[in-house]
Amino acid sequence: MAGNDDQRDLDVFFEAARERTPDPSAALLARIAADADATQAGFRVRAHARRSSGRLRQFLDALGGWPAAAGLAAATLAGMWIGFDPPGDLQAWARDSLDQVQNAHVIDIMPGTGLDLIGEASL
Amino acid sequence: MPYDAMDELSDESLLVRYAGGDAVAARVLMARLAPWVLAQATRRLGIRAEAEDVTQEAMLRLWKVAPRWEPGSARVSTWLYRVVANLCTDRQRRTRGVALSAVAEPVDPAAGVEERMQDDARAEALRAALARLPARQREAVELRHIDGLANPEIAEIMDTGIEAVESLIARGKRALAADLTQRKDELGYTDGGQ
Repeated sequence: MAGNDDQRDLDVFFEAARERTPDPSAALLARIAADADATQAGFRVRAHARRSSGRLRQFLDALGGWPAAAGLAAATLAGMWIGFDPPGDLQAWARDSLDQVQNAHVIDIMPGTGLDLIGEASL
Repeated sequence: MPYDAMDELSDESLLVRYAGGDAVAARVLMARLAPWVLAQATRRLGIRAEAEDVTQEAMLRLWKVAPRWEPGSARVSTWLYRVVANLCTDRQRRTRGVALSAVAEPVDPAAGVEERMQDDARAEALRAALARLPARQREAVELRHIDGLANPEIAEIMDTGIEAVESLIARGKRALAADLTQRKDELGYTDGGQ
């Protein structure tokens, strides 16, 4: 182990080394602070993205998960497609079905109250 | 929380606050850690500009790791020391043998010119003698006697036991004393700095 004299002598060198340690310049501190601010701003963006993602997941869970959402999306697209461009067979079937309904039947079960039930209505 | 009140918080608490959006916490951490990081990097690299780049990079890595920092997992100073050591090693591999004259010397206006020159000569002699030590001994001696860390923290940084740290420091100091004795008269080795 270093003796007491050696220790005392070395302390002079260590002290010189400590005093020689440079202070960070103002420019360096400004760069570090700018990095800190920019990085912190990134945390907020990511946190917002995570919150948005959380709301989407809640919505999907309410529907029954991704499979249910996929089924719903497929049905919606199919409905829109049929609405815009219905197949010819479907139009014929609809016409035949409606032709069978000749009359509208109004059943007034309580004439005094004015409440009517509409059975079928021809178009 | 005001700046002064934060000064009493630990590095780890400040880092958690920073991750939570507290900009003042970053300033406190920066004021506390940047000088220490710069000192380490300057001692290892010897060039002020290089040391400043390493300091900025090390601090940037600290900012980025903040959201994933697990309280109780490690000390910020320990983590940062390792980052600085790795960054310096990478730079030393790229730039071997750079001139030490490139180091910007801090000037103490209160000190006389002769005294300052002697201090500079001592610091430079110590730096050269430290560079001749085995890496582990040099690291332990620097952490203990220049950074002023306690042995348990040094053991944590160096990933070893406290007894091993004590042994490294003792052997390192013996070797330093023997090395520096050769320049005794030139550097005012035994005059207590006067």
